[in-house]
Amino acid sequence: MLSTNSLERKLQISGIILIFGLVVEALCLLGRGPIAFMIFTGLGGLLFLVGITYYLSALVRSGSAGA
Amino acid sequence: MAAPTIFILLLLALTIILIAVIVFRPGITATRGGKMMAFLVLFALPVLCAGMGGSAELQHAKSTEFCLSCHIMEPYGKSLRVDDPMHLAAAHFQNHRVPPAEACYTCHTNYAMFGGVKAKLGGLRHIYVYYLKTPPAPEDIKLYEPYHNRECLHCHAGARSFEEGAVHTADPDLLPALRANKTSCVSSGCHDVVHNVRSLKDAKFWKGSN
Repeated sequence: MLSTNSLERKLQISGIILIFGLVVEALCLLGRGPIAFMIFTGLGGLLFLVGITYYLSALVRSGSAGA
Repeated sequence: MAAPTIFILLLLALTIILIAVIVFRPGITATRGGKMMAFLVLFALPVLCAGMGGSAELQHAKSTEFCLSCHIMEPYGKSLRVDDPMHLAAAHFQNHRVPPAEACYTCHTNYAMFGGVKAKLGGLRHIYVYYLKTPPAPEDIKLYEPYHNRECLHCHAGARSFEEGAVHTADPDLLPALRANKTSCVSSGCHDVVHNVRSLKDAKFWKGSN
């Protein structure tokens, strides 16, 4: 399923991580207690940051490789 | 469910669908337009979603419902409904001197710089103690620091009932001492009946507005 092109594969991986993060955040928004708040900031926030960072680093590396 | 939360959930769903398009069809990012779409979908929209979601969660964390969702806080929630005007917390809650939906936060936040941050860190400590340590019995819960008059004066300073109240003006040294936090508003003989969760079993309760 993952692309053979390096940049596209990295976009796919960052997309999958972001989807997990956003699903966690959506589920936490449906919850009402402190645990939902903790999971939102802890797990959801972590997956979100990893996904975004991976995407941006893929862009930077592909840019520097093409230069 | 509140309308802003529904909007954020719809935005999250849209973002997830658009990310899924890129995951299943990564070839579309080869074109200039595809690259712009990838930036929008993999960066801009998730940042917007996380920002709005985080803001909604932080707002919800201020709510009375959120604070009272921990079992240990139940007696404190009950104390807001004591039918006795001498109970400070109950009188504030029932007479809307604090917003009922954010009653706990309004009195227990810190009105100094970074007070909101300190309140959130205190909340994280509560969660740590509640889930990972042995929490005290509700009646044994104590404030981390003595209650500061600044939190009372945030609303009451300048109010006629405070500045010209018979008891407050009877002693000319009292108001300056209160403003300097040298005499506590909740000291013995003044407003010292606050939550008093130990005596709730004998109390009468107001059955008014929910």
